[in-house]
Amino acid sequence: MSKTITLNHITKIEGHARLNLKIEKGKITTCELSATEGARYFEGIVKGRRYYAAHEMTSRICGICSCAHVVAALTAIEDALGLTISEQSCRLRVLLTLAERIRSHATHLYFLALPDYLGYESALSMAPEYKPQLQSALRLMKMGNGVVKLLGGRDLHPVSAGVGGWLKLPRQEEMEETGKELLKVKKDAIATVKLFAGLRQPEFESDAEWFSLVDPNEYAVLNGKFASGKSSFGKHEYRKFIEEYHQSYSTANFVVKEDHRYFVSALARLNNNHRQLSKDAQKALKDTGLKLPSKNPYHNNLAQAIELIHCIDHAMEICKGEIKKEEMPEITPRPGRGVGAIEVPRGTLWHDYTLDERGTITDANIITPTAQNLYAMQEDIRKRMPSLLKKKREEIVLDVEKLIRNYDPCFSCSAHFLEVKWL
Amino acid sequence: MSKNKKLKVGVYGITGCAGCQLSIIFNEEEILDLLSLIDLKAFPFIKELNTDEEFDYVILEGLVANKLDLEILRKLRKNSKMLISLGACACTGCVPAYRHFTLKENYEHLLYKRQEELQDIEPSPHDEHVKVDYYIPGCPPDKKEILRFIKGSVRGVLPRPHQNPVCIECRRNGNACLLDEGKPCLGPITTGGCNAVCINGGLECWGCRGPTKDMNLELMIKILRDRGFDDRFIQDRMRTFAGLKLPMLERVMQGSKSKVLQTRFDGEKKFYE
Repeated sequence: MSKTITLNHITKIEGHARLNLKIEKGKITTCELSATEGARYFEGIVKGRRYYAAHEMTSRICGICSCAHVVAALTAIEDALGLTISEQSCRLRVLLTLAERIRSHATHLYFLALPDYLGYESALSMAPEYKPQLQSALRLMKMGNGVVKLLGGRDLHPVSAGVGGWLKLPRQEEMEETGKELLKVKKDAIATVKLFAGLRQPEFESDAEWFSLVDPNEYAVLNGKFASGKSSFGKHEYRKFIEEYHQSYSTANFVVKEDHRYFVSALARLNNNHRQLSKDAQKALKDTGLKLPSKNPYHNNLAQAIELIHCIDHAMEICKGEIKKEEMPEITPRPGRGVGAIEVPRGTLWHDYTLDERGTITDANIITPTAQNLYAMQEDIRKRMPSLLKKKREEIVLDVEKLIRNYDPCFSCSAHFLEVKWL
Repeated sequence: MSKNKKLKVGVYGITGCAGCQLSIIFNEEEILDLLSLIDLKAFPFIKELNTDEEFDYVILEGLVANKLDLEILRKLRKNSKMLISLGACACTGCVPAYRHFTLKENYEHLLYKRQEELQDIEPSPHDEHVKVDYYIPGCPPDKKEILRFIKGSVRGVLPRPHQNPVCIECRRNGNACLLDEGKPCLGPITTGGCNAVCINGGLECWGCRGPTKDMNLELMIKILRDRGFDDRFIQDRMRTFAGLKLPMLERVMQGSKSKVLQTRFDGEKKFYE
């Protein structure tokens, strides 16, 4: 029996991708997951621009995680310039990143993932029967967007975060108000965990290893070492342990660590850092019965839901802090190289820039979570297939799509390039 | 457009960041009611079942960056009475189109083989390839502007596109002029409608909504030069978001008198109130 399944346009994901599966005599002979997104060459076009253009331009890599790209770029540029930002600036960047995670997780969980499980084609068609659930989702999205707007000036591609600090600070009373609003939506996050804990997930184990930042001080956001259960690396050494190569059929490159596949995600973060979750998030985690560490990618949705509670708790803590007036530092360009590695909705994001003595960018490298996850995703599909072969075509497609969506891929982000030599 | 029958609408994206489509969804309070006003035939970003038949209008995010994008753009144009370009990539080419103004050696080595149908095309906005009926510019577009467009379409009266520069809205908000503070703000030549959101947030305008039709580019350049910005800086800045809509830039900078200030933000006047 020979079967070819081609999903030319995988729906309900960020960006554009296709899957090519070929099954011959019960064996998977082809399994290619690839972005069909056009090449945008961000790493090429920032070259020649000055240090302050990096975050403005690379923010445009991705809409839903634009704050992530801004913060990662700023971190890398400041690292290159030898600039230390204030404790307050750092705290607000954490808040910006967490707020983005709230809106991103809520959008993914309810609009992209949930319809698969409830048997609907879209969240919109769920509206008549699942209105309260959708309203929870929209409140969480609005909350996340509201905080991003307060700190960044607007929902997407924030403007107020600059090299060295904040161009405009939120007012103390706005922060207090935000803290109250966050508390109001916490029940929606708790309901989300209950909802997703009740969904049936297949038993499956990925062969990939998990990786995330690990920070002894808190549930890692902007700092820490890149670690799995077995090994741990400092961000500046990333080129030694993350290798990149290309498949001819894809815009995206796959990243391999010492020849092993790995994944980054909310689940990876939970595996490493669940003991640092907020009290209520830990309680919710315990109630779900989710066993950690887990290498089942179908658990990523639940991990995201649990993170919603933690993000709200952590964000509320930050909102209690005092806002002091601070001036932006004077910046003197100098040559150097800097790396930014931060935890963003879909996993660890890397930005790396080299500057010359005028502060002009001479080299850039960006590795997104989805680029790192592509290999694991593709091989998970390959591993999952044999148990699906007897099913109907539609069921295979739904199962595979579920698997892909559980990773919450962003193919806009993953269209990423590095020098390759074709022989 | 008939008032009794719901309008058939498609929302699609080609190469881009999905941020414009999110800007539609991020109208959190209105989205469910809004989408019930129209017959949403396609929105692959959030829908599994999508039919690309006859549309009254298609809202399309993203720029043309490969052959597949162009094929999709042409097909949607053919299948739709109106084509709405959503966001800066669609309207001006945005940051990805800055590639036109960067040295080839900066990105050449990043090129690699792709399948024939995914081969690169010079990054370009929609109107380089097909007729566009309405522009909702900006990176990101103002989510309320999208809301007004969809509501207007249902009433049969589309909102009039913004003509005034960002400065008008910026002054109304009571912001201090960033040019006066010595910052390279492009507000005077950039189409408003964003409520000067960047300047409100402390950042100078980078021109993401594209140039106004009656901009005085010569004066803008003079103002920036007077504030000590060199020509390289001015060019880089103006081309970051809307370089393709400023083909006259170099000539104006060199002081040539033969200015061609016509931009392509014309749209179709007959649709407006």
